[in-house]
Amino acid sequence: MIIDASAYIGHWPFRKLHYNTAKGLISLMDQNGIDKAIVSSINAVFYKNCQEGNEELAEEIEPYRDRLIPFATLNPKYIAWREDLERCVNDLEMKGLRLYPLYHRYSLLDPESRELLQEAAGRKLPVQIPVMLVDPRQHHWMDVDTQIPLNYILEAADKNPENAFIILNSKTADPILGRCKSGKSPKNIFIEVSRLTAVLNKSIQAVISCLGVEKVVFGTGIPFHYAKPALIKMEILDISEEEKEKIYWKNISKLIDF
Amino acid sequence: MNADFRKIDVHSHVAWMSNGVMREWSVADVVEAADKLGIEKLLCSTPITSGPCTMELIRKCNDVTYKAMKEYPDKILGYAFVNPGYFDEAVKEVERCVNELGMIGVKLYNQYRADEPVLLPLIRKTAEMQIPVLWHAGHPPSPMEALKWGQPRISDGMHIAILAKRVPDAILINGHIGGGGDWEWSIKALRNVPNAYVDTSGSVVDEGMIEMCVRYLGAERVLFGTDLSMEAGVGKILGADLTNEQRELIFWKNIEDILRRGRI
Repeated sequence: MIIDASAYIGHWPFRKLHYNTAKGLISLMDQNGIDKAIVSSINAVFYKNCQEGNEELAEEIEPYRDRLIPFATLNPKYIAWREDLERCVNDLEMKGLRLYPLYHRYSLLDPESRELLQEAAGRKLPVQIPVMLVDPRQHHWMDVDTQIPLNYILEAADKNPENAFIILNSKTADPILGRCKSGKSPKNIFIEVSRLTAVLNKSIQAVISCLGVEKVVFGTGIPFHYAKPALIKMEILDISEEEKEKIYWKNISKLIDF
Repeated sequence: MNADFRKIDVHSHVAWMSNGVMREWSVADVVEAADKLGIEKLLCSTPITSGPCTMELIRKCNDVTYKAMKEYPDKILGYAFVNPGYFDEAVKEVERCVNELGMIGVKLYNQYRADEPVLLPLIRKTAEMQIPVLWHAGHPPSPMEALKWGQPRISDGMHIAILAKRVPDAILINGHIGGGGDWEWSIKALRNVPNAYVDTSGSVVDEGMIEMCVRYLGAERVLFGTDLSMEAGVGKILGADLTNEQRELIFWKNIEDILRRGRI
């Protein structure tokens, strides 16, 4: 079984994406042997009222509920996010949150963010933070030109110990490894493998040593990315099959109430 | 997964940084990673990526590459790194590296942009020798960001296209199309320039990138590379919507064809 913790549906305004509908995503998953995927709405990143994107997502994935697991995009600075959260969880059966502090121009340390995170913790909703959506070195003129520093997520995780944070699309784990070296291993941080490496600096293995294999989850970033690079990393990763199973699906399953 | 295709990585490096500081891994680690991924050969260079770029340092860098070639003769092939601003000395260093050390091409970094006239004597020499020139290339979002990168003279596909038209016998490779700049820009710029190629290396694994390379340039002008993003490098070719014949061309046939041309 393979569960992709990092997939998206919707329109990206700065480059043509393929496979960015529910049907397209399913075909990409089938080509790559991916059984299920956590998805969120790209549109919701750009709508001022994110909830419209969440509604679109729920409708789009309805025929594929057995394979696509929706996460809600919310902005704690925008009006009525509590009502939107209620709707996403209770009516649309969304299983977690995906937050974009850079795009929505807030800090995870703001009081409103704290309130949202408390609500998420109370409902046992994992919180995913994509550190970037595309590589900032190729950003469109109207897009953000940087990424979220991991230290910033670590600080938010420290201040919100009841939340499970899942870091997506990070090319480095160095700040996490630094914490471990100083004996302050973060307890509520999970990291997805798509941009880490299994060879040369072996950042996947380093994260496993630091956080434990239970804190590592599989993801690809489809349809922004090809799925194969992440799959190849898992294939050549020098860990036991039992540990791979945890990364492929068991760890993320524990975080989500299927 | 990997065993089905031969693979020659046209954009790799030996483990030394240009300033002599060791990376976190060794040449043996690069070779081991290549073996895991089914990469048969690594075309390596040791460029000076910042600071002074003197002939003395350049020779040292090339000797580092040569040491790795000697250590792994079946695995590592070398590019001669030079600074075109040294004119005759740069040409002589290319001749030393190719004729005496057995290197197969030239690597250029960002000391000069590809459309600057200073390049012409060196590029004409490589055209005469029929050896490939691999450019550290990328298109930053703005000139200000090129400065922020510390690379005001980085070349993109447009600059390489200008040079390729000036020296139509030259074999020019736009390095790491997945290296972080605007790859759509560079692919479009190189469309009508038959003697320019792209290598697919870099950490960027954007879906559609390889397909666009093939659509605009033809599979014959696309070369597999990693620039040490090794799983990304292999994965994007395997993951792209290509025929197996196109994958063969990209993974190894095109570069083998180029290397056969060398009048060395």
